[in-house]
Amino acid sequence: MVGPVAHHFNNMAQQQASVRLGMWLFLVTEVLFFGGAFCAYTVYRIWFPKDFEAGSAALNVGIASVNTFLLLASSLTITLAIRSCYESDRKGLMRNLLLTTVLGTLFLGLKAREYHIDYQEGLVPGVFGYLTPHAKEAYEKERAVNPTLPETPENAFNENLKYALSHSKVYKGKPGEDYEPYRVQLFFMFYYSMTGLHVLHMVVGLGLLVWQMVLTATGFFDYSARYVYIETMSLYWHFVDMVWMFLLPLLYLAGPHTATQAMEQFQMAIGLGGGH
Amino acid sequence: MATATPHSPTGAPVDPPKLDYTPQAIPLPEPTPAEDRTRKHYLNHDTSLLGWIFTVDHKRIGLMYLVGVSLFFVAGAIAVGLVRTNLITPTGAILELDQYNKAFTAHGTIMLFLFLIPVIPGVLGNYLVPLMIGAKDMAFPKLNLASFYVWAFGALFFMYQLLVGGLDTGWTLYPPYSTKYSHTNVLYAGLGIFITGFSSILTGINIIATIHKMRCPGMTWGRLPLFVWAMYATSVIQLLGTPVLAVTVVMTAVEKLFGVGIFDPKLGGDPLLFQHMFWFYSHPAVYIMILPGMGVINEVLTCFSRKNIFGYAAVAWSSVGIAVVGFLVWGHHMFLAGQGYYLAMVFAFLTMLVAVPSAIKVFNWTATLYGGVISYQAPMIFAIGFIVLFTIGGLTGLFLGTMGTDIHLHDTYFVIAHFHYTMVGGMMFAWQAGLHFWWPKMTGRMYSDFWSRLAAIVMLVGFALTFLPQFVVGYMGMPRRYPNYPDEYQLYNVMSTAAAYIQGIGYAMPVFYLTASLFFGKRAGNNPYKATGLEWMVPSPPDAHNFPATPTVYFGPYEYGVPDGLSIVDKMNGHTNGVHTNGAAKQGVTSGS
Repeated sequence: MVGPVAHHFNNMAQQQASVRLGMWLFLVTEVLFFGGAFCAYTVYRIWFPKDFEAGSAALNVGIASVNTFLLLASSLTITLAIRSCYESDRKGLMRNLLLTTVLGTLFLGLKAREYHIDYQEGLVPGVFGYLTPHAKEAYEKERAVNPTLPETPENAFNENLKYALSHSKVYKGKPGEDYEPYRVQLFFMFYYSMTGLHVLHMVVGLGLLVWQMVLTATGFFDYSARYVYIETMSLYWHFVDMVWMFLLPLLYLAGPHTATQAMEQFQMAIGLGGGH
Repeated sequence: MATATPHSPTGAPVDPPKLDYTPQAIPLPEPTPAEDRTRKHYLNHDTSLLGWIFTVDHKRIGLMYLVGVSLFFVAGAIAVGLVRTNLITPTGAILELDQYNKAFTAHGTIMLFLFLIPVIPGVLGNYLVPLMIGAKDMAFPKLNLASFYVWAFGALFFMYQLLVGGLDTGWTLYPPYSTKYSHTNVLYAGLGIFITGFSSILTGINIIATIHKMRCPGMTWGRLPLFVWAMYATSVIQLLGTPVLAVTVVMTAVEKLFGVGIFDPKLGGDPLLFQHMFWFYSHPAVYIMILPGMGVINEVLTCFSRKNIFGYAAVAWSSVGIAVVGFLVWGHHMFLAGQGYYLAMVFAFLTMLVAVPSAIKVFNWTATLYGGVISYQAPMIFAIGFIVLFTIGGLTGLFLGTMGTDIHLHDTYFVIAHFHYTMVGGMMFAWQAGLHFWWPKMTGRMYSDFWSRLAAIVMLVGFALTFLPQFVVGYMGMPRRYPNYPDEYQLYNVMSTAAAYIQGIGYAMPVFYLTASLFFGKRAGNNPYKATGLEWMVPSPPDAHNFPATPTVYFGPYEYGVPDGLSIVDKMNGHTNGVHTNGAAKQGVTSGS
């Protein structure tokens, strides 16, 4: 390691300015990357408003709410980490980086649980879909009334969704009248791809956090020279948070939800009773 | 952004070190022949293999790109050789129908993603931007190396996809060709596009940060060489456009892998959305391809006409104008694809608008030539070829941007000819001009004057004869991408194919005389063309760290004065432009501030 100023820079000010500019430019490309997905989402949101509301009603807004608080808290802790670095407070830096990592990991854990619940409810469009036992039962009942229906449903996702929404305490829409299940598949496609891309960015962010923690722990850090790296990393972390701040209303809050429902959903997700 | 004060470990603010404004000796003294033979420079200071593989020197990375893109140019050329040969007879001479589809798709994808987009930013941009602005390296040298390897990694997917059976969707990857009805390797090609796109973004970030933060004292925005302005505008497009293509490719892959219908009307989706998002990148992408070429032309024209550029600010801002307006015209690719009528009218209008900055450039180049002391060395022949061919390509673009005529010409060979006039006649010629212009700087050797001029003329003739008949046959109605055609089109197709072979010979020639120049060429010296840029003030090939000390700039980039001389040197000796110059240079407007 050849000192904090790299060989091709004249001085520290130039190096820090370049690093900051580089991260801002990278964030510009990220905005455009998510922007493309948001744009496609918006097109279909405008075309199929009711179907997207139905899809949103089937999501687990309880976990999403808790996750929002976790991410906001992690934004605070990473900002405190910059402060610690700025003040050459090594212990504080370590603590705040660790807190941020823990909050981020908790977010990912809950997100994984949420995907798991979605999968259990069979809310998976496309080739990986399957018919849940509940939905199968409901379909058999429907078929007893209307024998012209085929023996197995044309699309498993549609039946699963109908079952899930018919048991929602908040959403009262009827399939065929208020929403078309096959269009809700589009909503779920966006739900999985956009949250999936967000999760991918979180994983990268956590990797950076761990890396900076290792550098701090091994004493590699010269605070005055390197706080700019903590700062740029926090820019990235804030950006990932911002994406979530857009995902939350677009995906989760598009349909009807209540606070009680959210509370119940979250309690059920972490195994604290409730539910049907 | 740059104003945060650095702090010492104790928290007390520290004054940033003062920049050194001491005038440097420019140009550096010419090495004697004996010194030149033993001199250590960027090529021979570390000749180990690892020294190349892990190099962070922007000049070495530029050379690595040069090798890479040249190989892919050959691959793309072989593919089009098959296509053109097949088109000799109306029923297809050599290829099966699906082979034909794969051949033209291979030509398109390789030439666009692996040659045209990386060629000038990767090779000349990397090599020259730090040299031209007086920096030791790019702002992020490791990122620069990473972007080369990311590009090479993405290119591997393209190669793999070709080896396991190819792709038959055309380079545009429109669904449902690429989703429902494709049985070829769309996913590998998509990965290739995604990854090479990432490389393109990283290069863009690096170049913008370098231009903003690494300019040497005195190198104001008004004194930047216009090539640097062009690279800046290009990088902006790379930054803003490429991520959108990436997310489009992701959605296509999701549709194909998981069987959902983002672009499938049966499942509620819309294929037109793909076209919108694809062209939101891919139309600006043609400016990624042409803008660096325009930048090269500025440098070559001023040097070989011994004149300042006419209208520096207009040329610089027209690059930015192209980058901005270029983002607002993508809809002209979808006039016939079910886009709204009024929307199409807006796009047609904006398409006319984007022709304006291009026209500004062409007029300024012509005005630069006027009254200049012109010499026709190879780079200049290429540059003149560029202006003529690009003008034809640009003007025929207006036919296609006008809705009424586009209905007739849409998806015909007229489009192919237009596109190749701008991309090959434009970009390929600019690339050759740039390669020949800076070859002595890169290698320290002069190439054969005779063979290089001959190659330029062969390429020019071959090119014009290949694509002029395509305008005619396209106007007559021959659609693009069809392997078969009515008998009456055969004459034009045979002409086109024959001339394509001539072009092929032309492109092969530099391989020989440029390689030969490495061994037999005479030493170039610091500044063989008596050009004015900072890159010509250092020995050829440059030292590993470019400049012995950070240079200081006092003049605009094109202060050409006496023929075969440097007014900048005279200025250093206390003379003004008026004393030592001839009539031609007096007409030039002094650039810079």
